[in-house]
Amino acid sequence: MSGSYDVVIIGGGISGMMAAVALAEKGRKVAVISKGDPVCCFSTGCIDVLADGDDPLNGLGSLPDNHPYHLVGEDAVAKALELFRDIMSEEGMPYVGDVHVNRRVLTSLGRSKVTCLVPETMEFADFDPDEYIHVISFYKMKDFYPQYITSRYTNADYSIFDPGVITTAGIAEKFENRPFLEKFIFWLRDLDIPEGRIAVPAVLGRSLAGDVYHQVSAGCGRKIFEIPTMPPSMPGLRLFGGLKKALLRKGVNLYWGRGIYSVEKLGNRIEAVTLASAGRTTRVEGKAFILATGSFVSGGLQAFMDTVTETVFDLPTYLPGSRGTWFNDDFFAPGHEIEKAGIRVDSSFRPVETEIDNLHVCGSILAFSEVMKHRCGNGMAIATGVAAAQACGGLV
Amino acid sequence: MIKTDVIIIGGGSTGCGVARDLALRGIPHCLIEKGDFAAGATGACHGLLHSGARYVVNDSEAAAECISENMIMRKIGVKCVEQTGGLFVRLPGDSKRFRDMFLKSCEQTGISAEVLSPSRALDLVHNLNPSLEEAIKVPDCSIDPFRLCMLNITSSQKRGGQILTHNRVIDIIKEHGRCVGVKVQEESTSEFKEIRGKIIINAAGAWGDNIASLAGSTVPMTLSKGSLIVTNHRLTNMVINRLRPSSDGDIIVPNEAVCLAGTTSITVTDPDENEVDPAEVDIIATQAQQLLPEFGTTRLIRTYAGVRPLLKADGGDDRKISRSFKIIDHKNGMFSIMGGKLTTYRLMAEKISDRVMEALGLKTRCRTAELPLEGQEELSGYPLSKRLKTMENIVCECELVTTDAVERVAGKIGTRRIGDIQHRTRLGMGPCQGGFCTYRALGIMQETGKMTPEESRRILREFLQRRFKGIKPALWGDQLREEQLIESIYLGILGMEQEQ
Repeated sequence: MSGSYDVVIIGGGISGMMAAVALAEKGRKVAVISKGDPVCCFSTGCIDVLADGDDPLNGLGSLPDNHPYHLVGEDAVAKALELFRDIMSEEGMPYVGDVHVNRRVLTSLGRSKVTCLVPETMEFADFDPDEYIHVISFYKMKDFYPQYITSRYTNADYSIFDPGVITTAGIAEKFENRPFLEKFIFWLRDLDIPEGRIAVPAVLGRSLAGDVYHQVSAGCGRKIFEIPTMPPSMPGLRLFGGLKKALLRKGVNLYWGRGIYSVEKLGNRIEAVTLASAGRTTRVEGKAFILATGSFVSGGLQAFMDTVTETVFDLPTYLPGSRGTWFNDDFFAPGHEIEKAGIRVDSSFRPVETEIDNLHVCGSILAFSEVMKHRCGNGMAIATGVAAAQACGGLV
Repeated sequence: MIKTDVIIIGGGSTGCGVARDLALRGIPHCLIEKGDFAAGATGACHGLLHSGARYVVNDSEAAAECISENMIMRKIGVKCVEQTGGLFVRLPGDSKRFRDMFLKSCEQTGISAEVLSPSRALDLVHNLNPSLEEAIKVPDCSIDPFRLCMLNITSSQKRGGQILTHNRVIDIIKEHGRCVGVKVQEESTSEFKEIRGKIIINAAGAWGDNIASLAGSTVPMTLSKGSLIVTNHRLTNMVINRLRPSSDGDIIVPNEAVCLAGTTSITVTDPDENEVDPAEVDIIATQAQQLLPEFGTTRLIRTYAGVRPLLKADGGDDRKISRSFKIIDHKNGMFSIMGGKLTTYRLMAEKISDRVMEALGLKTRCRTAELPLEGQEELSGYPLSKRLKTMENIVCECELVTTDAVERVAGKIGTRRIGDIQHRTRLGMGPCQGGFCTYRALGIMQETGKMTPEESRRILREFLQRRFKGIKPALWGDQLREEQLIESIYLGILGMEQEQ
């Protein structure tokens, strides 16, 4: 259905959704257009703010001068993260952690990953290596092998439960079935696990994680936590689901599964976008627009043999050198040059070198964000999303 | 110590072909390969079973060998040859004179060549460059080189042939000036072994001169690196060639679910030189796009390079060197075989086996052209519906490989190498190039106790680095998206950057 809005947000990832929430809370009429479900569904569901150092916010100062975090500022980053937490709590998916403290979560390969805010199901994932840890695995589960974890810790063991399916999503679905859950809890209790913590791959429900998690913890009487898995990642899907619910609750209009077909401009302003759809076209009009289409994986940027383009408005794009310099030789050295590619913006998140006045840009499409290098993906998405919302709030 | 009659060095198509040939003639033999089968030029070629048309104008001898072997392989290798047919496409500006010579030479050599109008060519391959002048249809086919090697080895093993893969020849034992055996070292255990035989066949391909030098001999060769690109899906069901003198990027070959486009030709000195230069990728992609415009927007999932062991040339262009082969009798109990093509591997094996028989004073004749390759009855071929039927617990979604298949292969050959699993099951050969399933296969292997979790993690790390090396030269478009996703999984979700 066509419509007219104060702000039209293009991109339904974390950054776009947080911008939408921030504007809706201020009473703006908002629409979010998204080609499909966002890449945060593939993520751990954790909010990485900045991996370097013990206090991620304190570390922002040491980032390169052109990093988008500097446009937001430390206080505003903290406020944006608090807003995110409030929203997720309202949706019954509380996040735990302190925005000033980095914490660790255990990975499926037995390594630890540095992050900041985590879903409550991972609250106990930052454990003392001397403490006993018991890993629960599932028979023939194809993306989880408990030996990778137990072999790294001297004080660890594992047990295997047979859920009858081998995929992450399949097992998670079973956990939303009460008899299955009760059977699992009964089995777990029967194991008589020594004092310590219990780790389980992140399959405790697809969307009802909180309920399942609390019942399992109460049932076994131990501190229990989830380990993020390879995609499809349940905590990533739950994060997306929570934010989407929040948008709907706040009256944001969603145009989901729709790409942008054409853009209408008048003078220095974008007037409307038309969405591709079967049958008649949909025209979405806005006083201001926010571009939050993400980087390459989500399709906001597209790389060709020797150029990079922005896919909706064809904005001028920063490109770090020729193709031969885009990637390091070492796969494991994070921070390939290509991560710097993206849209450069001014202090109010408007793209530079364009004549457009009512367009703001946020999230990983921003030039110099280098989210893999700095491990700042979800945190930067939240902070710049809220900041871009504030920047355009004055316009409408 | 192992005692045998004939020692074959090299597990490429030639070495495997010799093993089968000797087995069928009842000659005891032992094949030694430093890696897995097809690890050199055999596995790094484009999997084309030449009709000979590519060489017909300048190299009629090689062309004649190709067409005759092509006809034999269709008969004996039904399950590893796909009879695709091939087109030589002439685009605006391509020489008409070359086309006339091409047709005349095809006739003289006995390669069937049918001239097709643009519209008839487009009926066969709808996504050809529509501005083509004409196309010439020839009997090219595609062939699976890994499968070909395995099937040849099956005949050898059935008749008691000894096969030692992952064993490197480190010395050739000589007594009274004659080669009487080799000393080998196993790759993972570093154990030494001695193998004694009456005759040594050096079928080490690009490494042939290194082997010959262990016996104080030389094999004059020119090493020519050729690079290729793998596409995300099968763009054409026929082999597409450019109708012009051989040059970079003039061939696209369908192979199972993907297409291979190549090649380049760069003289190198080191047989282990297999880096792909991004500039080569640009050339191949640009040229391939002229034949199939769709190539320009297709996701490229991998690049690789192999080193062709060509007969020695006196300088000049590698492409002008004959693709025929040569046997050298070193007069010390060792024969070297060099040059040739994957297409002519059987003929090469026949000729050198004839020499061996002569040297041993025996007369049994070659039967490799008459008997079908053994072991094909176990192969499914490609029908997806057939494969899907019995599938449960799939670990590799691209190539439909099950947990059971991984466990079975790992158990049967007792391997600890992910490459061995990949070559035998096609795990990781599809669009994700092992990005998801290698982690799973290694997880299963360590679970069965074949390796420790630490080893498994180390192998995963090596695999990801190797994979990245193959992908990096062609990283743009959708493949760049996929690559960043894979990076976020292994570095972001699994935390592998700290592994060292």
